[in-house]
Amino acid sequence: MDENSLSVIKLKNILLVTVPDDPGDDIIHELQTKVLHAIEKYQSKGLILDISSVNILDSFFARTISETTQMVALMGGQTVIAGMQPSVAITATELGLHLGKAISTLNVDRALDIFTDNFKLV
Amino acid sequence: MATEETGEHPIKSEGDIVTCRKLIRTAAVAAGFGMTDVTRIVTAVSELARNVYVHSGSDGVMRWEILYQSGKVGIQLEFEDYGKGIPDVDQAMEVGFTTAGTMGMGLSGVKRLMDEMNIKSEIGVGTTITIEKWGRAK
Repeated sequence: MDENSLSVIKLKNILLVTVPDDPGDDIIHELQTKVLHAIEKYQSKGLILDISSVNILDSFFARTISETTQMVALMGGQTVIAGMQPSVAITATELGLHLGKAISTLNVDRALDIFTDNFKLV
Repeated sequence: MATEETGEHPIKSEGDIVTCRKLIRTAAVAAGFGMTDVTRIVTAVSELARNVYVHSGSDGVMRWEILYQSGKVGIQLEFEDYGKGIPDVDQAMEVGFTTAGTMGMGLSGVKRLMDEMNIKSEIGVGTTITIEKWGRAK
């Protein structure tokens, strides 16, 4: 896999979406359509957005995550954002970013726990 | 490898936003900024480069310089465009102000990430935004 590309993997009832470290606008645009089509194709009940490699989250990326979460919700799915780096969390807060209705977890393992325990989806 | 302590890059396409981020990440890391400051600086670059590309309606350029001053290291960045200009700079700096359907966090948010920020804008001539961030030298 190209290190700068987006990866979408079906995992039982959900999707594991991994974002590269410095995603360009084209990859962020692709994220939205790729996720929504994969949810329809695999009839997924939600997705984990793994951003543990991401070292830059600006207002454009945050807006796309927030909108995608809303679109996934309209299709009946749950979005969990996993693995935000400390420096990214600090910067995003200072910048005033919001990620909408998405739930956040420390890492992908905890995100899987949420889908298993809270939503009984996996 | 010697690192460029000053430089410039044009902002003409969407791809230039990523290139600007990469150039400044390399320069800021080499200058000795900590991880959190590097993230603040690169995020500010992303906001301002996109501001030039999306809002100004013209090409632009990013210039940077690494500064050293009594045990401190700084980075100064300038984003210049030759576009339509900002009619009301004070209003553009307000939280929530947006003309592009974004979150409206752009300029006011960038100011919170930086130590200094100045905007010079003239209608029909263009806009120059200068930012500075300082940290402890290595």
